[in-house]
Amino acid sequence: MQTKEEPNLVEELSRMEWEPLVAAEKKLIGYSIALGVVLLAVLYWVSTAFFIVQP
Amino acid sequence: MSAAGTHWLKSEDWWSVWIGLFIFVLSLGVFGGADILGWGAQMNTWLDPGGAVKLASTAYQGLPVLLSILFTYLFLLAILSVGACFLGADLKQFGIGFTVVFALSLLCWFLGHYAYIAATPDKLGAFGIGWSLNLTGEAGFILALLAGLVVGNFFPGLADRLKAACRPEWYIKTAIVIMGAGLGAKAAQSTGLAGAIIFRGFCAIVEAYLIYWALVYFIARKYFKFSREWAAPLASGVSICGVSAAIATGAAIRARPVVPIMVSSLVVIFAVIELILLPFLAQWALYDEPLVAGAWMGLAVKTDGAAVASGAIVDSLIRAKALAIDGINYKEGWMLMTATTTKMFIDVFIGIWAFVLALIWCTRIDCKEGETVRLREIWNRFPKFVIGYVLTFAVLLTVCLSFPEKAAAGQLSTGEGNTFRVLLFAMTFFSIGMISNFKKLWEEGIGKLAAVYLISLFGFIIWIGLFISWLFFHGVKPPLAG
Repeated sequence: MQTKEEPNLVEELSRMEWEPLVAAEKKLIGYSIALGVVLLAVLYWVSTAFFIVQP
Repeated sequence: MSAAGTHWLKSEDWWSVWIGLFIFVLSLGVFGGADILGWGAQMNTWLDPGGAVKLASTAYQGLPVLLSILFTYLFLLAILSVGACFLGADLKQFGIGFTVVFALSLLCWFLGHYAYIAATPDKLGAFGIGWSLNLTGEAGFILALLAGLVVGNFFPGLADRLKAACRPEWYIKTAIVIMGAGLGAKAAQSTGLAGAIIFRGFCAIVEAYLIYWALVYFIARKYFKFSREWAAPLASGVSICGVSAAIATGAAIRARPVVPIMVSSLVVIFAVIELILLPFLAQWALYDEPLVAGAWMGLAVKTDGAAVASGAIVDSLIRAKALAIDGINYKEGWMLMTATTTKMFIDVFIGIWAFVLALIWCTRIDCKEGETVRLREIWNRFPKFVIGYVLTFAVLLTVCLSFPEKAAAGQLSTGEGNTFRVLLFAMTFFSIGMISNFKKLWEEGIGKLAAVYLISLFGFIIWIGLFISWLFFHGVKPPLAG
């Protein structure tokens, strides 16, 4: 196996340009968390109602 | 992903399936009266080193233990070399590396079984000793990890020579395929509990994906001013499944390859820190909620190797503590099964998540003319070792449920496969240690990247993971032994 030349992290990070959060990203974040919270309640109900564990 | 990366003879993922299934099929011989793998070397807790090694099956009684160890070594070397050959490794380098990795891992596994380290309270009398660290034989895994860390960080020359055989993901995936059979046999004893674990593991993962990823991405973008190209692989690496998720996300959003590679190097280092800390934290705080602890390891610890390894340690630590404090003797393997199930759902979802991100990037964020997203990418990114795991799990579950009178053969069969599973685990721990170069943390400029990782991981991922695990697994207990 050949070792590839290691990239320089400092250079790569310093080259990074700031980009503002666009509407699509904000929607992705918002919808994802909102869906997560709603499903939390739904899945919890399903697991306790249909996947009961007998002690 | 390149064609070679998914080809059934050219990827580590597929080779973990072939090798795992090969061992599994051989272990099934006992059902037909042919004990093929009974010569394998297993470890006992010991006070006298002479009694440490035992044979996997009494059918080979009389075989000297040194020969048993030699056969075990040669068998693993032979089958892994076939895979390494197809994967394009230099066979001589692989053979040398494997021999050293195997020998050191076996030595650590042996030392970890020393009675003063491993004996549980119910065994102290049998050994005639008044105390022990109560860590069970799995302490050998921790020793292997420490040995790997010493080699990787203090003997870089030796580590470089062993590199060809330093393949923690391959070893753990092969071990997981073998483990499927053992867990299938366990599930047959309590199908309701196994079903609940599988469904609840699935629930935990849906939650983890939706909440973790979005939060880490937001923090990296908003507060640390990372670009999209860096923030997306970083969010996947920290929040989902480490290396494979970072790489899949990088490809999905068309990031330059350098980005996921750098994120991955951090993932590996922090996974080791989690592997050392979290099982002991779980033993301290969650010994009365064993399956919460198992799911937590699957959710919080990144990389397949470290997560499943944490599940194995937490399984033994919590069983030992529950026995010592409450006198409760849980059956072995249920916490490990929970950690593995949770982790595998994470792996299965990587492809779907990468597809969703690719679709959003392609249509909403970074639209490039003529660029399309293909459904086939989901299959390309599907972790193939899961197929092997599901197969071995389903076969043993079906056999044990259909022929209850064959339970003893099932136990012997999974026990013989287990011989190789634990050795592959030990080699995984050693290899993880060896590739974890902590000098990276001192590298100039890594601070910002490490800060996001540290804040996200220890600030909320671990704790949200604990909450989700508790929500879905509290009150669910493993069956009792005996």
